[in-house]
Amino acid sequence: MILSRKWIPYLLLAPTFLIISVFIYYPAYQSFFMSLYKVSPFGTSSRFVGFENFLQLFQSGGFIQSVYTTLIFVIVTVGIGLVISLLLAVLLNDKIPGIGIFRTLLFSPYAVSPAVAGVLWAFLLSPVSGYVSYLFLIVLKIQPQWLTTYPLALIAVMIATIWQNIGFNVIFFLAGLQSIPQSYYEAATIDGANAVNKFFRITIPLLSPIIFFLIIMNISSSVFYSFAAINVMTEGGPSNTTTTMMYEVYRERFFYFNNGAASSESVILILIMAFFTYLYFKFGQKAVHYQ
Amino acid sequence: MLRKLLMVTVFVILASVIFAAPITLYFWQGVGAAFTKPLQDLCNQFTALNPNVKVDVLYTGDYHETLTKTISAVQGGNPPDIVQIYDVGTQVMMDSGVIIPIQDMIDKDPSFDINTIIPAARNYYSYKGKLYSMPFNSSNPVIYYNKNLFEKAGLNPNDPPTTFDQFIADAQKLTVKDSSGNTIQYGFTFGTGQPIEWFFEQFLAIQDALYLNNNNGRTGRADKAVFDSPAGLRVLNFFNTMVQNGSAIVAGAGWDNARSLFLSQRAAMLIDSTANITMLLQGAGNKFNVGVMFLPHPSGVPYGGVIIGGASLWLINTHNTQREQAAWDLLKFLESTDAQAQWSAATGYFPINRNSIIKLLYQGFYAQHPEFLVAVLQLLMSTPDAATSGALSGAMPDIRTAVNNAFSNVFSKLMTPEQALQQAQNQANKDLANYNSLY
Amino acid sequence: MTKKQRRTVQVVVKEVTLIIITIVMLLPILLSITMSFETPPEVFTYPPRIFPNTFYLGNYVNAFNSIKLGRLLINSLIMSVIIVVGKTVFGILAGYAFANFKFKGSAFLFALLFVTIFMPADMIMIVPLYKLMVNFHWLNTYWALTVPFTASATSVFLMRQYFLTIPKELEDAARIDGASSMRYLTRILIPLSKTMIGSVIVINFVYAWNFYLWPLVVINSNSMQTAQIGLQMLMITGATRNWGIITAGTIIVLAPVLILFFAVQNLFVQGIVTTGLKE
Repeated sequence: MILSRKWIPYLLLAPTFLIISVFIYYPAYQSFFMSLYKVSPFGTSSRFVGFENFLQLFQSGGFIQSVYTTLIFVIVTVGIGLVISLLLAVLLNDKIPGIGIFRTLLFSPYAVSPAVAGVLWAFLLSPVSGYVSYLFLIVLKIQPQWLTTYPLALIAVMIATIWQNIGFNVIFFLAGLQSIPQSYYEAATIDGANAVNKFFRITIPLLSPIIFFLIIMNISSSVFYSFAAINVMTEGGPSNTTTTMMYEVYRERFFYFNNGAASSESVILILIMAFFTYLYFKFGQKAVHYQ
Repeated sequence: MLRKLLMVTVFVILASVIFAAPITLYFWQGVGAAFTKPLQDLCNQFTALNPNVKVDVLYTGDYHETLTKTISAVQGGNPPDIVQIYDVGTQVMMDSGVIIPIQDMIDKDPSFDINTIIPAARNYYSYKGKLYSMPFNSSNPVIYYNKNLFEKAGLNPNDPPTTFDQFIADAQKLTVKDSSGNTIQYGFTFGTGQPIEWFFEQFLAIQDALYLNNNNGRTGRADKAVFDSPAGLRVLNFFNTMVQNGSAIVAGAGWDNARSLFLSQRAAMLIDSTANITMLLQGAGNKFNVGVMFLPHPSGVPYGGVIIGGASLWLINTHNTQREQAAWDLLKFLESTDAQAQWSAATGYFPINRNSIIKLLYQGFYAQHPEFLVAVLQLLMSTPDAATSGALSGAMPDIRTAVNNAFSNVFSKLMTPEQALQQAQNQANKDLANYNSLY
Repeated sequence: MTKKQRRTVQVVVKEVTLIIITIVMLLPILLSITMSFETPPEVFTYPPRIFPNTFYLGNYVNAFNSIKLGRLLINSLIMSVIIVVGKTVFGILAGYAFANFKFKGSAFLFALLFVTIFMPADMIMIVPLYKLMVNFHWLNTYWALTVPFTASATSVFLMRQYFLTIPKELEDAARIDGASSMRYLTRILIPLSKTMIGSVIVINFVYAWNFYLWPLVVINSNSMQTAQIGLQMLMITGATRNWGIITAGTIIVLAPVLILFFAVQNLFVQGIVTTGLKE
């Protein structure tokens, strides 16, 4: 019994690790090798170039710019997205009539596929004839060029990304809020704490595990899945100001057929992400409060 | 003995005709739902004539995705028989080593008259006089205009502008501002990204100017871009003048925003593909009358013409003569007079078969739809030379991005047109070198 | 003002705020619903309209017919269900291992798994993964659509966090009663985690349902394509775009996810309630 218990966890993990080794780690390993070659689009001719693909990336201004754009993009979408989601969750954490309907409706943007979300937002933000542009014209008497000028285009794709993530975040925040015992707040009220105090002293610390989970999930979706909306809304423009690293990978792979370049960019992307994961494990967990 | 042999031969031939094993051809297309049905209809007609050959038409994503899927499939040993590849993917396909140039089939098949294909289409898909793929859905850009807004602005809708200067002047007259100074109607609109990259090439050809060296890559592999020229600068300035004086609005990436500006009558003129005629006429409905005009050209510059755009059909080498023959028969059928006429009438793409154009004309199609005639005439009246054959290189997708960036850098005043064009050309030269290093 | 009156005012203020936020948040979706009932000339009017002035159902009929959406929805459903079952079952098993067992290499294996959150193979390693499918002879099958995605770090992570919140005393008690490890999992842990499992199902369903690029690459027949491909087919640029049909398609494809969410909504919200996602 004791001997078998020693092996049980490995058996339990076997299916998961079998799948990720074959379908994630093995392709990743191959991807790494591809990054050392220049390959023709159809793969008929390839040439070993060592780290030349990487070197070319760092020499091209475009790549550095995309790293920078990705950084801003992730910080803003994850940061603002989480704040809005938390505030919304606080608002939704109340037993008022129709609350279930509100929750379901606010979840729905998350269920829309990123490419479709991009199409809808592009239509809304379309200059002059779009709904948002029209609203700005009649209310504020201005005509912002959402999709075609910097930094508005970047803001527009960020809005679409945040919009997609809110539904997912709200549900998790809501759950976290409901798990905080009411007695904590009552005790604080007796001690004379106001609403803001309670929010920062009780709510935030007790939500920290959820916040960390959501940060990870949001970074992942902002980095890897936002390119579909970018492709539809701005095609990375104007002047590459909305070209994130993943969009660059997508373009190299599917538009230019530079498989070597795309692979080397993927490798860098994975390395950066692995580094942040390491930081998360090393330092992040210490900041999480335990209930 | 001889008789026996003869009998056997006759029997074999008969058997192969009567009992030939049915084949299913795989045909991958990237034109989307609206055109799937007309395409499938054509293939069904082919099957009706050739009961042994079924055609399985599969939508494989947009043009980029279709090429991606083809590349994966070829590498995985599971290719289709025919695949539709967009215009700028031509060189990549030529270099792929997995296709059969259709010239090889034509040379073996006296029943096919290559001269039925209109020269513009033949030239685009040829390299050193050899036709590589079968032109199919073809288009070129035109200017759509709102005849009602022309009248309102005091312009004659039956006398649209023909030169850059006239066009710019009319765009200004068509611009309307509200009391607080906001523009509520623009003279002109266009999409950035894929659209403007393509328009730039077209306006170069209009001036009979080259995009790449070696005659646009037609007489040898192009290794230098040459669009940083007075002609290129004129194109950039043409768009930029109207953007800066507020008579044109940059609609955003892709085709749709520009179309919605035009259809909601917020822009009086739109540059768009002829493939979109049907949709624009539908969208305008009874709200306003849509006119179609030729692309304007700068006065005092020799007239070239437009380049054919769209996509062509490629024959993949499946190492199976029977399949390849059947696929070739299908391509021939799709190029035939009736098929092209039917396809054109159903979709708005113009026919690439000269007889189909004549047929549609006699049937009165062009009298009823003069918009379609503009598209065909613009192409047929082009000077057939290297400039209007279009640029050929595997690096074209990369280069187009560089050109698109040049436009945005100029519109946002980050660079002068001269600087932007020079930067784009430098980038293009790097992309060309990068691509050519593989072959 | 009495306490009750104050509460009423509070509720009214909240309701109004929520209605406004919901309308703003759902603007893109409301817009699709409007357009899905319009004919082409009606879509492009200025000023833009919020409500359609006709109730034209032709777009829905066309969306269904022009791309055989029925068949595509069934394929998407099959694919999504298999992926959801895989991710949920394997997530429970692995989550159980990480939460309830002490074993050699546990931390290392967890990190190894965790990193895959940032390695979406279907996005960035499409060529090697495709070649693998060719070697397995899985092209154009449900195997290719599902098997590579039947395990994920997210599900394992969520299940692990949930299991950690369930008091250890329960396990000890079960063991004293002679229950084996698997029996404890199936008889006690899983029933207690029903709610969390519900939320894992919803998240993974959305993920699988919105799959696009991968099915496009590995599927070679019309009868095997998925609803997202159909939607993209309606939407494709560079050619005729009919907004009415596109938005009708969007609404049809969105509906199953919302129905699923609505069905498990209570379960879902409660589910995460009890977890607290302890670290």
